Amino acid sequence: MLKRLRVEAGFVGKLVRLNLASNMEYRATFLTQAIGMFINNGIYFVFWLLFFDRFEEIRGYQIEQIFLLFAIVALGWGLAFTFAGNAPRLAQMVAEGRLDYYLTLPRPVLPHLLFTRMDPFTMGDLTFGVIAYLFTGRFDVISIGLFLACAVLVAVICASFYATIGCLSFFVGNATQWSFGLANALVTFSLYPLGLFQGGIRLVLFTVIPAAFVGGVPVEVVETHSLMLLGALAGAAAISVLVLNVVFRIGLRRYESGSAIHVNI
Amino acid sequence: MPVVVLDNLHKTFRVKQKAPGLRGSIRSLVRAEWNTVEAVKGVSLALDEGDLLAFIGPNGAGKSTTIKMLTGILFPTGGQAQVLGYVPWQQRRALAYHIGSVFGQKPQLWYHLPPQDTFELFAHIYELDRTAFQKRKDFLVEALGIGDWLATPVRKLSLGQRMRCEIAASLLHGPRILFLDEPTIGLDVIAKQQLREAIKTLHDAENLTIFLTSHDAGDVESLCKRVIVINHGQVIFDDRTSALKRRFLRRKIIGVRFGEPVPDDFSVRDATLLKRGTWGVKIELDTHVRPVDDLIKALMSFAPVVDITVEDPPMEQIIREIYQADESVQIKGSPEPAPASAERQSEPAAE
Repeated sequence: MLKRLRVEAGFVGKLVRLNLASNMEYRATFLTQAIGMFINNGIYFVFWLLFFDRFEEIRGYQIEQIFLLFAIVALGWGLAFTFAGNAPRLAQMVAEGRLDYYLTLPRPVLPHLLFTRMDPFTMGDLTFGVIAYLFTGRFDVISIGLFLACAVLVAVICASFYATIGCLSFFVGNATQWSFGLANALVTFSLYPLGLFQGGIRLVLFTVIPAAFVGGVPVEVVETHSLMLLGALAGAAAISVLVLNVVFRIGLRRYESGSAIHVNI
Repeated sequence: MPVVVLDNLHKTFRVKQKAPGLRGSIRSLVRAEWNTVEAVKGVSLALDEGDLLAFIGPNGAGKSTTIKMLTGILFPTGGQAQVLGYVPWQQRRALAYHIGSVFGQKPQLWYHLPPQDTFELFAHIYELDRTAFQKRKDFLVEALGIGDWLATPVRKLSLGQRMRCEIAASLLHGPRILFLDEPTIGLDVIAKQQLREAIKTLHDAENLTIFLTSHDAGDVESLCKRVIVINHGQVIFDDRTSALKRRFLRRKIIGVRFGEPVPDDFSVRDATLLKRGTWGVKIELDTHVRPVDDLIKALMSFAPVVDITVEDPPMEQIIREIYQADESVQIKGSPEPAPASAERQSEPAAE
């Protein structure tokens, strides 16, 4: 079992190195995309700077919590698509019948296809996440450790969610727009203080669109050092992976290969 | 003992139908209409170790769908299949260690990286021992003549060079069966010939079983001892290639471009003039009636020849002739179901 895990981890490592090498073939594009995403995140943050210039807090969140929220979401999102760069493309890949390559090789199809691509935009998210954390002023080892653990779990939830929505293409033909729209909803809701949402919407954010586990819950984990909440976050990540696996497995039986020409880049 | 066995294999797809234009799109949005397309209709065949089989047919005949079921990509709608004792769609991963596949239109090489990087990745994918991998790679590089391009990004390679690297990648783990789906598609005449020679060399060197799909009759003539022709999802011919050549590949299309205008008194005996232009002609020849070299000699006596091409008839014409050879088989659109084979022998053909 351990040997198997080591082999799979080595394979993922090889894919990531190959992706980096592939992206580095076009250094200028790589850097401009990364910088572009960093600026994009920064512009979004300006809204909150203006807000807190006029108001003290919003539902228990002050500017420090907003910094922490952005740091976790950006780093988690960045990690997700640095490694699983094909998760946002899964809907289109399924719709166009582009899974053949992965199905002919002796590797678990889902991780292989998710990790086969790296999105250079995500470098901007990663950098933004780290810099945003520096503004929170939490430099004790426990906080940093919890922050990093939360970012990894958020990454798992984001990638799994995006890929699960993408799997709907197996059932409805083409779920590209749904996938894009719901992923946008996930990231948008996660970037607001959780206390703003009550009742039915709050329930949705803890279940169907798990934005609470991407934003509000991890912020509370780092703030309160609550291991119980960290466990809940890990549970949410595990459920996300499980749901993705089940949906993908069922969907694959309905897969229809296409005749479109495509390349691995 | 057969290494590939297909028994009454079926595959149907649901295809959405839409009337043309915006009105059609709106109607389809409100009430979608679906058609069931039978891509593969009861294909049965067996392949022995070391066979080099051509599985040919026109576009949309069901060749790729069959190969995708045999490699575990698609689940069949009905029937059975075993490849090396594995049921491909149930034991896909276990089977993948023993087969290789090359899809002409779906490259497995990483586009922006040199082939050697993909080879390294494949060594990880197949968990190859380092020394064995190096030895195997050296052998394939030599056999396929790809040594000069190993460090060149794939995007800079010609289609023919890329295809040879694709084949090397698919053989790195030493598979027993190689599935080639349209490997010569898009290649020029010279690249096609080089690729065919490389495939033949590897087949002879390793007693590799090769299942090759193509819509190019030239692939069959150059490479395969046995040929199966499929059309509309059904096998319509299964025999030795020599039988196909004798019966249906006897016609050649010869194109000639002269160095001066075609003489007014131009005519050819024992051949059909298909097209006559100012500078050239296109002729169909039955090689059983008159040999190609005899006709070419005659053509050269009319005027200086600038260019000459000898082509096989298109696959559609060969299929039409196969249908015509057996009147019980009805051509496309027939309300009657076509029999499984126009000419079929139960004994696998090994020459």
